[in-house]
Amino acid sequence: MRTVLRLVPAGLIAAIALVGPLLAPHAIDAPVAAPYALPGPGVPLGADELGRDVLSRLLAGGRDLLLTSLAVACAVTVAAAALGTAAALRPALGRLVERLADLMILLPAVLAVLLVVLSWRGGGRVALVTAAVVVSLPYAVRMVAGAAAPIAGSGYVEAAAAGGERLPQLIWREVLPNLRATLLVLLGLRFVAAVYVVTTAAFLEVGPEPPAADWALMVRENAPGILLNPWAVVVPSLAIGVLALSVQAAAEVLAPRPGRRAVTRL
Amino acid sequence: MVERLTAGRAVARPSARRAARPAPSGPAPLLLRGLGVLAQRVALLAALLVAVFAAMEFLPGDAARASLGRGASAEAVAARSAELGLDQPLWIRFLRWMAGLPAGDLGVTSRGEPVAEVLGRHFPNTLLLGGLAFAVTVAAALALAGAAALRPSSALDRAISGTSTIVAALPEFVVASVLVLVLALWADLLPAVTVTAAGGGGPASAAMLVLPVLSLAVPQIGWNTRIVRAALADECTAPHVEAAVLDGLPPRRVLLRHVLPGALPAIAAGAATSVGMLLGGAVVVETIFNYPGVGSVLAGAVRDRDTPLVAGVVVATSVAVLAVLLAADLVRGWASVRRS
Repeated sequence: MRTVLRLVPAGLIAAIALVGPLLAPHAIDAPVAAPYALPGPGVPLGADELGRDVLSRLLAGGRDLLLTSLAVACAVTVAAAALGTAAALRPALGRLVERLADLMILLPAVLAVLLVVLSWRGGGRVALVTAAVVVSLPYAVRMVAGAAAPIAGSGYVEAAAAGGERLPQLIWREVLPNLRATLLVLLGLRFVAAVYVVTTAAFLEVGPEPPAADWALMVRENAPGILLNPWAVVVPSLAIGVLALSVQAAAEVLAPRPGRRAVTRL
Repeated sequence: MVERLTAGRAVARPSARRAARPAPSGPAPLLLRGLGVLAQRVALLAALLVAVFAAMEFLPGDAARASLGRGASAEAVAARSAELGLDQPLWIRFLRWMAGLPAGDLGVTSRGEPVAEVLGRHFPNTLLLGGLAFAVTVAAALALAGAAALRPSSALDRAISGTSTIVAALPEFVVASVLVLVLALWADLLPAVTVTAAGGGGPASAAMLVLPVLSLAVPQIGWNTRIVRAALADECTAPHVEAAVLDGLPPRRVLLRHVLPGALPAIAAGAATSVGMLLGGAVVVETIFNYPGVGSVLAGAVRDRDTPLVAGVVVATSVAVLAVLLAADLVRGWASVRRS
């Protein structure tokens, strides 16, 4: 019961973000009040730098963020599942992954994302997703490889290998079914990390382009007017915060005992 | 943030390997191993620079055009290219740049200013910001996790553990805008932006550092509290800790004298992985607070396709991260020698 209760916030904010665009009372790109107008009748959260309705933009601004983050999380989890298991079965690949992960420790993720997105002209959302996946893959692979290592070394996998099963079959049929719990946790954690990367990129203006409504972009655009209408900055910030927090809480709940230990123990 | 989670584990792994090996017989093998680790890390740095140079080569537009502006003629662009050495093949430019590195020569920006000078002007400010945030992070994480560990499973422990997990997930700019609203606008305690001192260089007053430092540190405090709490919990199961408790020593003393030293290697490894996040987060936080650091330089350099400047920023941040990773290695080595 408590498990279900802790999943509710994540579900709720996801639902709001997904249906939000349909609920927006005003157009997201048309001025309805004075720039940085304070909350008043018809504009419950006031107006932004161009006099656009903050509430409408808030309702519209979560869906793409949510879907982009979800795409990153799914792509990383699927790729890490395949590569991590392969790395556990083939030590040479494992060593390569270790080196790549070591390399990424030296390069702050934000800088890596900036480089990839800017060097891919017209890449848009695809470039952002790709960059986020590339940045987080080495660590995710290492996490799966760590969890897969004991299974890869167990007798039944060796027996299957001796029985002539090839690498894809070993990964798919023998090892991965035992890693469901780890992969579920990984998906949750990668989602939280993806929200961080995607929002930070948008904030640094290498993501969605104006006039798109995007929570992170709203924070950036309206920051100069925080003295005039603080809600235009604070409410989208809080929306991002609540999204990250609720997904984090959900990821913790989903973690089964051994998985949770692997996570909190580091 | 999840990177650090798995990174922390991997950083901890060599120590487990070390424990399996016979203890070093004297300082010489320890030194040799230290040099080996250093060489490996420097090789990583070189590999990283190759990757950055390659990525910059794919950037649309080029430095010659960006530095001349829109209306420049084809001849002017070609002349500027030759002047900047852009007509040379990539690998020659890269080798030339690497050759100057040991002498502190980082090349020249596309605007003709030595990279080392630009960094010299801005990097100390970022180091100040990041260093303060790091200090605040470590102090707060130790205090919070220690308080939680003194009363395991109490309401306090659950509150600290739960809050830290959740705070660790927040992007810096989210923390920053809430802090600005509460501390600068409502409470009117602190300035909301940084004003550069008249003589150039750093921020004009110490109060202007508080909000940027807090914005950077809060997510890291959440993260490190979690690591320290787990490391302390781990160490609490060690036999010598149990013996100390059975001897009737006061809990605070057991924590400081018997639990903390054993947990130190894991704590150091965790804190070291925060440094990359602090420097990456500085790009965002400096933008929000208009702080005169390397983050704002980086944003401009990427826009200008200024390869040497971007590479210079990467070198500076990576060397800082390297230095802290090595310090964490030293702490680990020292702790393991002390114990054996």
